[in-house]
Amino acid sequence: MTVTSIARAVRVPSLIPRYTPTGDEIEVFELAHQNRLPVLIKGPTGCGKTRFVEHMAARLGLALYTVSCHDDLSASDLVGRHLIDASGTYWSDGPLTQAVRHGGICYLDEVVEARKDTTVVLHALSDDRRILPIDRTGEQLEAPPGFMLVVSYNPGYQHLLKGLKPSTRQRFVSLAFGFPEAGLEGEIVAGEAGVDQATAKRLVTLANALRSTADHDLEEAPGTRLIVDAAKLIAAGCDPRVACRAAIVECLSDDPEITRALMVVVLAIFGD
Amino acid sequence: MEEQVGIAWHRLISRFAARRFPEAAVLLQDISRDAALLFRALGGDHGVMVQAGAQSSHGARRSLLERLAGSGFKADLAWLDRQALRLPPLVDVFPDRQLNRDLYFWLAALCAADPRPDQPWLARNQAAVLAVSGDFPGLAARYGRLVAAEIARRPPISRMAPDEARQEQAIRDALQKPGSVAELPAARRPPHPVLLWLRPELPAAGKPRFGARPEPASQAASALQSDKKRRMAEHAEMPERKGGLLLFRPESIFSWTEYAKVEHETQENEDQDLARAADDLDIIAVAQDSKSVAKKLRMSLDLSPAEGDGSPLEGNGMLPEWDYRSHTLKPDQCRVNTILLADALPCALPAHLKRDQQRLRRQFAALQPLRQRLKAQPEGSEIDIDPYIRHLAHRSGAEGGFYLDQRKRDRDLACLLLADLSLSTEAWVGDGRRVIDVIRDSLFLFSEALSVSRDRFALYGFSSKQRSDVRFHTLKAFNEPYGDAVRGRINAVSPGYYTRMGAAIRRAAQILERQKARERLLLLLTDGKPNDADHYEGRYGIEDTRKALIAARQQGLRPFCVTVDQEAHEYLPHIFGKDNFIIIRKSSELPARLPLLYALLTR
Repeated sequence: MTVTSIARAVRVPSLIPRYTPTGDEIEVFELAHQNRLPVLIKGPTGCGKTRFVEHMAARLGLALYTVSCHDDLSASDLVGRHLIDASGTYWSDGPLTQAVRHGGICYLDEVVEARKDTTVVLHALSDDRRILPIDRTGEQLEAPPGFMLVVSYNPGYQHLLKGLKPSTRQRFVSLAFGFPEAGLEGEIVAGEAGVDQATAKRLVTLANALRSTADHDLEEAPGTRLIVDAAKLIAAGCDPRVACRAAIVECLSDDPEITRALMVVVLAIFGD
Repeated sequence: MEEQVGIAWHRLISRFAARRFPEAAVLLQDISRDAALLFRALGGDHGVMVQAGAQSSHGARRSLLERLAGSGFKADLAWLDRQALRLPPLVDVFPDRQLNRDLYFWLAALCAADPRPDQPWLARNQAAVLAVSGDFPGLAARYGRLVAAEIARRPPISRMAPDEARQEQAIRDALQKPGSVAELPAARRPPHPVLLWLRPELPAAGKPRFGARPEPASQAASALQSDKKRRMAEHAEMPERKGGLLLFRPESIFSWTEYAKVEHETQENEDQDLARAADDLDIIAVAQDSKSVAKKLRMSLDLSPAEGDGSPLEGNGMLPEWDYRSHTLKPDQCRVNTILLADALPCALPAHLKRDQQRLRRQFAALQPLRQRLKAQPEGSEIDIDPYIRHLAHRSGAEGGFYLDQRKRDRDLACLLLADLSLSTEAWVGDGRRVIDVIRDSLFLFSEALSVSRDRFALYGFSSKQRSDVRFHTLKAFNEPYGDAVRGRINAVSPGYYTRMGAAIRRAAQILERQKARERLLLLLTDGKPNDADHYEGRYGIEDTRKALIAARQQGLRPFCVTVDQEAHEYLPHIFGKDNFIIIRKSSELPARLPLLYALLTR
């Protein structure tokens, strides 16, 4: 049923996904893993949170269970539930239980979106008890050393009413992600998309110009992912202005007046 | 007849002298949003708005035709001050429409970059050009085309006196190779204005005074003419002279130097063309008289912000105010006087709202908080024993539908509605209704709707007479039941005075914060910008309101604004954040939309 569809268990990949660190996040993550501490990653959309977790899972040789949280996600979606088939009822583990049973990273993306009852499950796992009580089966699972809980959220557009409770937040080692500094972001864009340095630099200038209009004209600043997408189109032979419109401008706003004004900024950088 | 010939001649010669291209004209209002976004994208301050600037006198030698026409004293230049990015209201100096458009964007970019504002005019502009064209290749290419057009537009060097020719050559060199000219050669007259550069700095303006309390009516919203152009203004004393002038205008505007001209223009054209008369003045002096007359020309003046006295007020429970110029939250700046409309007579809901009321009651009944337990679902958190046993017993029927799902909709919500009751709400919105009538109807319908959905709510209104008297009307407190007494108070609200929004929001936040609810909504209902009869105007008011809202958000409240001001998109994103306000196009739709909006907000 839906249990499997919401979780994506990635077995240890043979190839480590590319990730360019912007600070000491890799060391902190490794130390947190060694000390069995859960990690919270916060940062705007498209700044590399998910990529970082995938990279770290591969680097540490751990399986990764990714759950994208939504506002209907309940505790039983994470823990598991009884299902019915021809032979009767049976218990089916949720992604969190699977990770606790077999070891690995359970990554809850956009954790603030999930229903309130999920935090109760997370509390016992995220302090030094590291246990997962499953009241429906009467089990009490103890997390193996290979288990790690990682959650992420976006402080920018989360509902004001839905922030993480301090009692939850204070259980985690927290990493704040931002957009990389311009030179580094240029390298990332050039490396990911295969465009030349000059184009990458222009794209990053554009991104930073658009980011300074966030909150006033845009709901959220464009992330590195958008810039990489535009760069990929350009590398494939697309006209830079067309690529920026399709991959950046139209993704940022639906308001025709805003997109028209955003194109003025694009033309300031890619015009003629 | 004589007069008409004169006018025709004036028009003709002015057109020849001006060397403008009306067919290629670009209006500021058409590109102001684009220019504003570009300005912010290039690092410009979010708090400034884009506005049309006054023309600046340049003092340069004019051409023969211009002298014949008596024109060409002034040029449209761009500059940035604390309040706004000032751009020309219209650009038609180049024959190509695209070039005129590009000039706007170029000027916006230049104002945003401007790395050396402390340098003299020539050095400052060259540095700014280098900064912009270095980072933005697209703009650099346009600059090249603009320079070619600007040089073609400038008066020819060959006809200039030697000193002016040297000066002109230096300017052309600086335009073509920015950074190459260190100093401007001296000449008897200032150079011809450079449209691609920022305006040279002006000498400091007169000091504003406060003290006399202006009549509230001077905020009258029944302006006959209105334009968005800013005019340079300075504060001045009202001349002690009786005469025709006092007929003229409210905000009473003149200085001795321009005195005769104003009088002349107004008499000749009656009400027709106050705007043009104002354009002819270099600086409009604003006298602080205490008489107010119905305003004929509604315009914004570039008054330099008054310092105010800023001394803390005595007493308990004073509210602070944010001063963006010094970046400080000044304590004890505003006194809030709570006013209970005790003598309002209880009344029933006005008859014209009855139909809306019934519709809303039906809609809002659906919003009642309830806990749902959905049985026999295809998926859910628990097993639904009944259908499962039935299934086992009969060994029949379809698979699925054995689960229980909990859908809990606990709306734990408190909402405070804060209505702007300033005098500007007395303006007419058509159909014989005023803004205040619309606000009153909204308050009624909103209360009707919320009393059905069982959410806790309170209603307050505000206006202000300077910082010592922020008037906070209690229409319904949180713990009061909604009934005829409250309806009577809503019925009794009347517009008055000004809009000191920051203080009102701070007080409302204090009240709302005491409510124990999971969601706390602060809904502001207004018709315009924050302003008051002192230094609380323009950017000062906007920044103070913004600070008050940031503080409210930090307290865990959720502010939202509903406005009927059609120009609100210029400043509301800065105050409230992009998606935290809506502009109602027709004020008359407000009563119907407000409750629905509320339903959306709290879903």
